[in-house]
Amino acid sequence: MLHRSCILVASLLMAVAPLMAQNEDADVQELRNELGLNDEQTEQSSPLPAQPSFQVMDTVFPIGWIPEKTQRLVNDYAGLLTSEQRATLEQRLVAFDDSTSNQVMVLIVPDLGGDEIAAFTQHVWDTWGVGDKKYNNGVIIVVKPKNASRGQVRIQTGYGLEGALPDIFCSKIIRNEMIPHFQQNDYYGGIVAALDVILPVCAGEYNEERYDDSETGGLLALIIFFVIVIVFVLIFSGRHSNFTDSSGMPPYFGSSMGRSSGSWGSFTGGSFGGGSFGGGGFGGGFGGFGGGFSGGGGASGSW
Amino acid sequence: MKKGKIGIWAIVLIVIAVIAIWFIGARNNFVRMDEQVAGQWSQVETAYQRRMDLVNQLVSTVQGDANYERGTLEAVIKARSEASSVQLTGEDLTEEKIAAFQKAQDNLQSAMNRAITLTVERYPELHATEAFQNLMTAVEGSENRISVERQKFNDSVKKYNQAIRLFPGSIVANLCGFEKKGYFTSSEGAEKAPEIQFDL
Repeated sequence: MLHRSCILVASLLMAVAPLMAQNEDADVQELRNELGLNDEQTEQSSPLPAQPSFQVMDTVFPIGWIPEKTQRLVNDYAGLLTSEQRATLEQRLVAFDDSTSNQVMVLIVPDLGGDEIAAFTQHVWDTWGVGDKKYNNGVIIVVKPKNASRGQVRIQTGYGLEGALPDIFCSKIIRNEMIPHFQQNDYYGGIVAALDVILPVCAGEYNEERYDDSETGGLLALIIFFVIVIVFVLIFSGRHSNFTDSSGMPPYFGSSMGRSSGSWGSFTGGSFGGGSFGGGGFGGGFGGFGGGFSGGGGASGSW
Repeated sequence: MKKGKIGIWAIVLIVIAVIAIWFIGARNNFVRMDEQVAGQWSQVETAYQRRMDLVNQLVSTVQGDANYERGTLEAVIKARSEASSVQLTGEDLTEEKIAAFQKAQDNLQSAMNRAITLTVERYPELHATEAFQNLMTAVEGSENRISVERQKFNDSVKKYNQAIRLFPGSIVANLCGFEKKGYFTSSEGAEKAPEIQFDL
């Protein structure tokens, strides 16, 4: 009996997994289209670090533009990072999110949509919801490289990290770690240098392992749960047996019930955005933004 | 005949019950929104308090220079005491009271900005010091927090005002005495904090 339901679950998983992978591709494609990029341009990885492609660098966005929410922690709209650098950063930040629950996001944009960098960052934050909903432990680092206009950078903190990363501390990171690199056109180096300071400090404030209960995983567990229930009902409906609900449940039941209730909480909290299937809960990918809030803390700088 | 009468009474009772349930639900909804506005107001106050606390830092930074014009600093201190005298609780957030609160705070803001601008113009060596850079970061941080919390406050008031004025909820709001609350308006003539470029 158990065997049969296992097969059912497995086949369900196999049916859903490629759908999710496809969704991720569509997400990336959308971003490229939005930026007017074709595949050749983004895939080319020059050996020189951070050699900006000027076509992307000079993009000017319409007034009030903010990037559409993605399921990535590193979002480079200016083509400043090579794909290896992007992947390395993404991996580091996802691992950091998994192990400490702090969500640090890097956003590189060639233009701020006519806004001040602080207002722009706040707008992004309100739309994306970085950080855990309970702790508000998010950070957004926005880099607007120097192109036709001056370069600008902002480190913005969520409510929960204002104590660990006071404004003056953020300002010092910008002045001492980031801008010296940025002035040499070494954007990757500046971002890494800032993260080397920021991440340990965040981990000192919140250090709680994130359960692998992304919305996707929770929803899937719920679907599986119902499918199994239906299967059981169908199997046992005709005849009576001494196989009762509570004693015969496989251990998986308990955990899946616990998990699904946890993620329903965030589901009703509105963090279950349209693109939530993108990152997927499989293979340790990014579990999605947690819906945290920011009150405008942090600091900005320019060069 | 008798049976028909009972049926009518049953229908009337059901209608009354439905209306009563809706009424209670609507009222509870307004109370919740009202609480949200009051909660957001305390965030706004915290953000403004942060700016008032900065005055001491401003004074000590600028006073380091012996020849500093006393008049400018005294104007800032006076504006602060005026601003701190206008306090609102979550219950009396009427349009006029918010406007008065905002006016006092805007006066403080422009007094501080004047002092900072004067400092930068007259004492270029001061604005390269660490203390002054920290002050500017703190000013920027407090201005950002104020604008964020004000925006969030306005959003919550908008939701509340809309809810109590839309028919048929407006009937419940009128009967229970829920009143329209005031917004922050974008302050005319309020100067932005001077942006200071540091030579890095």
